[in-house]
Amino acid sequence: MVSKPVQVDIVVLGAGPGGYAAAFYAADKGRKVVLIDQDKKLGGVCLNRGCIPSKALLHATKLVHESELSKSRGIEFAKPKIDLDKLRAWKDGIIDKLSQGVAGTAQRRGVEVLTGRGYFEDSDTLRVETPEGQRFIKFQKAIIAVGSKPALPKAFDLGNPRVMTSTEALEIEDVPKSLLIVGGGYIGMELGTVYAALGSKIVMVEALPSILAGADADLARYVVKYAEKNFSAVRLGTKVSKMATSGKQIKVSMEFDGKKVEELYDRVLVSVGRASNTADLGLKNTKVQMDEKGFIKVNTRLETADPKIVAIGDAVGGLMLAHKAVKEGRIAVEAICGESSVYENVVIPAVVFTEPELAWCGLTESEARAKNIEVKIARFPWGASGRALSTDRGEGMTKLVLEPETDRILGVGIAGAGAGDLISEGVLAVEMGATAEDLAQTVHPHPTLSETLMEAAEAFYGHSSHIFTPKKS
Amino acid sequence: MDIKIPNLGEGADSGTVVSIYIKEGDTVKKDQTLIELENEKAVAPIPSTQDGVVTKVLVKVGDKVTVGQSIVSLGAGNGSASAPAPSARTVQAPSYQAPAPSTVLSSGVYQYSSPSGSPPPASPSVRKLAQDLGIDLSRVRGTENGGRISLADLRNFVQYLQNLALHGASPPKIAADTVAAASVDFSKWGPVHKKAVSSLRQKIAQKMTESWTTIPHVTQFEDVDITVLMDLRKKYVAAYEKKGAKLTLTSFILKALVSVLKKYPMFNASLDENTQEVVYKDYYHLGVAVDTEQGLIVPVLKDVDKKNLTQISKELEELAEKTRARKVSIDDLKGGTFTVSNLGGIGGSYFTPIINKPEVAILGVSKGKKSSDGRLVLPFGVSYDHRVIDGADGARFVIALAQALESFDEKEVKL
Repeated sequence: MVSKPVQVDIVVLGAGPGGYAAAFYAADKGRKVVLIDQDKKLGGVCLNRGCIPSKALLHATKLVHESELSKSRGIEFAKPKIDLDKLRAWKDGIIDKLSQGVAGTAQRRGVEVLTGRGYFEDSDTLRVETPEGQRFIKFQKAIIAVGSKPALPKAFDLGNPRVMTSTEALEIEDVPKSLLIVGGGYIGMELGTVYAALGSKIVMVEALPSILAGADADLARYVVKYAEKNFSAVRLGTKVSKMATSGKQIKVSMEFDGKKVEELYDRVLVSVGRASNTADLGLKNTKVQMDEKGFIKVNTRLETADPKIVAIGDAVGGLMLAHKAVKEGRIAVEAICGESSVYENVVIPAVVFTEPELAWCGLTESEARAKNIEVKIARFPWGASGRALSTDRGEGMTKLVLEPETDRILGVGIAGAGAGDLISEGVLAVEMGATAEDLAQTVHPHPTLSETLMEAAEAFYGHSSHIFTPKKS
Repeated sequence: MDIKIPNLGEGADSGTVVSIYIKEGDTVKKDQTLIELENEKAVAPIPSTQDGVVTKVLVKVGDKVTVGQSIVSLGAGNGSASAPAPSARTVQAPSYQAPAPSTVLSSGVYQYSSPSGSPPPASPSVRKLAQDLGIDLSRVRGTENGGRISLADLRNFVQYLQNLALHGASPPKIAADTVAAASVDFSKWGPVHKKAVSSLRQKIAQKMTESWTTIPHVTQFEDVDITVLMDLRKKYVAAYEKKGAKLTLTSFILKALVSVLKKYPMFNASLDENTQEVVYKDYYHLGVAVDTEQGLIVPVLKDVDKKNLTQISKELEELAEKTRARKVSIDDLKGGTFTVSNLGGIGGSYFTPIINKPEVAILGVSKGKKSSDGRLVLPFGVSYDHRVIDGADGARFVIALAQALESFDEKEVKL
């Protein structure tokens, strides 16, 4: 059945965190909005196949690691029994609850939600293939927020479920005895942490000379140390050349340390990056332009080359993070509504939920070096933090990247337990243009890990109570 | 991203593009010279603030450009994703022509620059408001810790702009408003020829008019017997020469001046008209007027109090050379605390120099003359800002300077 076209102000294609935030914000601004997603469960990759399920699994499996460490503190637990079905159900329960929350919020705001694939007929019309048939939507403006999916290079795509991307790995069908992880970025590291806790022997392979590229080496080293201890092997500068099905296993050919090896794994996780979902949207019927990688080209107002269409989130590339998409969504809506907003000088924090967590924001030390920007660095090692030691988490570091002369905080990096939550103070500091002195002058509660931010600033001025740093002239 | 004209130095807010070294498609490195600007006092290279590929050159030779104006658009170095043409609503910070500082408020020309190339520090809410208003925050002076721009700073700036709009302040032109009326056809009475006024000449005119109309000048004259001083010079000039230094009367004067300025600090000060404060400077950067083919330029010899006569002589010579070759940098023209104009090499007697604002006094030196009893007498005058300095101090100052020159200590000259 083909119904009469619906007229709306704004259509949002994709109900991930960027898309639904944009849809709700537009509705709050009095616009008539339709939100479209092909998945009945709203929330996109983040909620269904990304941030949320991975954090649920990390939380659940962290206890395994913690209970092992507990032995040295004089409290010993028996080996845990793991019920995968129950674990999975618990995780799915969280997803359901959150997804329903999004749907409920949409309803209360008067945002109409359509389930189905969207396809641009032209620059004014979107065709939606819903289970109930085709729907046509005439829009004033469209926001493309279709997100991304895990990249699976053709050579690894055997059609064998034992070769997984993050999507399948999060379903934890079983705990493979041996798991090869191809790609040592944050997804590989996080899922490796989960499977290692569940009991898999993990071999991690990374083509680059370090894992967690992008993080400063002095922060990443804590995670490297964890991986070296809890994975069977971490092979850097290593490339996988071939994979093949071999009975109930996968035969993998790779070259490392100058020699070629063939090994058998029960499962393989490919986490080598993400590709945009911009194919098959009918964008060729619009003026929207894409780069050679399939990301939509936008300006600082998130406007595409088509005056009726804006795009946000993973679909436009850059940092593929939910909170970046949300910020872009807000700016795109403001741009549509005629405000002067631009996406400029936005501080986007990055968090890796490994053991320990890594988080940074603003300028990193390595980026400063690469761009020849002169900076001063202040560090506070967690070994000097009472809170860190009393929770047995002395492995960590808080550091500030400062502008010479002004002492302005240009970036903050944290490695250690709860870094992902601690970084927000750093984000605020960078956004506010705060100086190290501002941070040093702000009283932080004792004993907490947040003190490490203050103490890093104090150390910079040579008067931290807990570490001695002779003042640099 | 666009590369903009940076702050050019005191009182300098515009210039003319004299050469362009890049074209569209060129890859440029940070600090590479993009264009050369003939600004008020010198030809200044304008370097790139970052690496990139030139996507558009926004100026052409002969264009008059102002501080903050975009000159070149740079794309990312890898040639990827140049954003599509933005819609008409894309925010363009209005190209804002700063007024001559004294005409409305003293905010003057301000351009934020950070050692790391970061945008000006301001909270997200203030930045959002500036975006909404189309205000370029790099033009707003932040008063909070670390130079952070507060809401109050932004509000002051907007009020300043409003004030400016209401008072219709346009930078003073070469001819004062009273004369700016209709052009006179002088060829009616005989042959004439015309020559465009150079930007340097315009700037001199603007500065002099501003100084003359806003500062109540008083000039105090005095004569000083420099017979002994000139004997000293004769005695040591060859030794200095060997050290590559040219020992001149001006070097002696600079040396003597510092000691007198230390005694009379109000002559080494500025008046902040906004805050009604006299700003006393604990450094002694002396401007020395240099006659160039294009006109008057005043480079500044820094920290004269920390230099011996050899250094002063040597650096003064170098600075003057650089100035005459118009190779003097913007930094060499900044930060003066007191100016010396020595016309002795040309001749003439007493003259009334115009104060080099925001300084409050200037020394004008004429040509020495033989007196009837065979002494060499140097006539000089000091013009001072009567708002800051009273006549009694003016008289004391010239007497002290005369004494310092008459009893110049030979120890200071000895190598």
